[in-house]
Amino acid sequence: MTSTRPVTDHHPTGAVYDRGYRPYDGPRGGRRAATFALYRASIRRALGIRRSWRQKVAPFVLLGIVTVPAIVNVGIAYVTRDSIANRIQFITYREYVGVSSALLVFVAITAPDIVCPDRRQRVLPLLFARPLTGVDYVIAKVGALFSILFAFSFLPQVVLFVGQALVSDSALDYTRDNADILWKVPVAVALLALFYAVIGVAIASLTSRRIVAGASFIGLFLVSSITSGILVGDVQEQATGSAAALINVLGLPLYLRDLVFLGQIDPESGLKGVQNGGLYAVLAYAAALGLGIAVLLRRYRWTER
Amino acid sequence: MTSSTLLHLSEVTKRYGPVTALDSLTAEVPPGRIGVVGANGAGKTTLFRILLGLARPTAGVVEVRGVSVADDPIGVRSRLGYMPEHDCLPLDQTAADIVGTFGEIGGLPARAARQRASDVLDLVGLDEARFRSVGGFSTGMRQRTKLAQALVGDPDLVLLDEPTAGLDPAGREEMLALVARLGTFGISVLMATHLLDDVQQVCDHVLMIDAGRLVVSGLTESLLERTGVVTVDVGGGDASELLLGELAILGLTAEMVDGTVEMALETENDLDRLRDVIARLELPLYRLGSRLTSLDEVFMQRAAHR
Repeated sequence: MTSTRPVTDHHPTGAVYDRGYRPYDGPRGGRRAATFALYRASIRRALGIRRSWRQKVAPFVLLGIVTVPAIVNVGIAYVTRDSIANRIQFITYREYVGVSSALLVFVAITAPDIVCPDRRQRVLPLLFARPLTGVDYVIAKVGALFSILFAFSFLPQVVLFVGQALVSDSALDYTRDNADILWKVPVAVALLALFYAVIGVAIASLTSRRIVAGASFIGLFLVSSITSGILVGDVQEQATGSAAALINVLGLPLYLRDLVFLGQIDPESGLKGVQNGGLYAVLAYAAALGLGIAVLLRRYRWTER
Repeated sequence: MTSSTLLHLSEVTKRYGPVTALDSLTAEVPPGRIGVVGANGAGKTTLFRILLGLARPTAGVVEVRGVSVADDPIGVRSRLGYMPEHDCLPLDQTAADIVGTFGEIGGLPARAARQRASDVLDLVGLDEARFRSVGGFSTGMRQRTKLAQALVGDPDLVLLDEPTAGLDPAGREEMLALVARLGTFGISVLMATHLLDDVQQVCDHVLMIDAGRLVVSGLTESLLERTGVVTVDVGGGDASELLLGELAILGLTAEMVDGTVEMALETENDLDRLRDVIARLELPLYRLGSRLTSLDEVFMQRAAHR
């Protein structure tokens, strides 16, 4: 029902047309398309795309910060390539997973930013009036944050790997010698990104105020880390650690990282020497993740009974 | 239910604990512009939430264009547009971005969503302002943006919850004109409001709800005709007072309005009795006409008799 009615034809130089209303008869997606659209909108928001320059600062400063160690490492390798010191690694691939606290700050800023305004500005009723369910909403929001965290943790690893390969005697030999890195890094990074994304969005879902959500996220990690540190004590001076190390929420994905890279708990960590420490770490990680998902599904169970 | 039925409501009940928001609501509503009227708390928003599948009725059946909301809420929602009463727009985004994003979330491909966002913002009169942040919009502009996001997916039916709330008289007239135009685009409208004048102005069907119960459902014109009041001009002053007194003695409901007598026709014989009284009193009859009552009066009368 396209209407093109000339509003006036008195002017020989042209006419203004009321284009009226044009129905849409093209393809339509369902839940999957709606979820993907919300996912993309959340990524755009998190990265500050179509927003003011201020909103673009945080993500790209973070990307810069997390990439610095890789660049420094590659630089050292290049400078010392002909010396005895060329085997010295400033940072290892394992250590590079989750080493930057900038990632935590980024989650504390971004998770509330992609979730809290929907509740505070009462956008949720509009979203759920679309072919979208609460589960779809959770998938889109967690998926968006997961993707950014994965990318921002993985890209510096790529820089490190490619840089190290290029400054080594033979890029092919370097790649062959470090072939296991090619699966260990993405798996470990994915475990870390998933954990931070679920916990970050779950905490943010509990409030409509961004500042409260961000402070709560940082607070959870600080309090759990300090509490765990007090209970476990100085690991360096003890023969064995303690299961109390699992209280440290910050450390949970790092234990899984160590299991991926080393096949066991890091002998330097708070869980060293604890019987079945690896299993406990996996269970604690799964429990925290499960709790986060349960909170999210509860908070976005939109249909009233 | 006929094939031309837009909404089929059968014994729809919704309880929140001890509170009954909707009580055995039954109605067949044809496509068009439908006004859902009732006081605040009458159950209008609850009905909308049930139609959107956001609330499950405690009992009863709800169908939109023959599709059961309980069986396929996603399918129903994919062809609905919804404009809530309250503020619901992300204030730090532009109108074009908001409407385009909601178009995509409604299932449109990205390019089509952006194009339609531009079209519907043009339609609601926000063509010039579409790249401005909604945070800087007036109430009227925000209402238009809310309407645009409801229309961007080219819905079969739009649910408008108090679309004129907070608007000044000029803004209200413009919004009502836009709502009236939607019918010509093949889009049915369900407009919830407590302003009966709005419904009378743009809706061709009325669904009146009071305390969760259906008061009346029917064509606006037929409601106005059925509840007529006759205006009798017998010269005003003493003549009108005399007539009024005689009608009161006979138990007929009448009142003086601006010098003329207005009498409610409550039975089929009332008009004959009025004629006989005027003849017996030998009063001059200058004018006898049927006055179309407002929907407010229809509502008050029906609600009182329920």
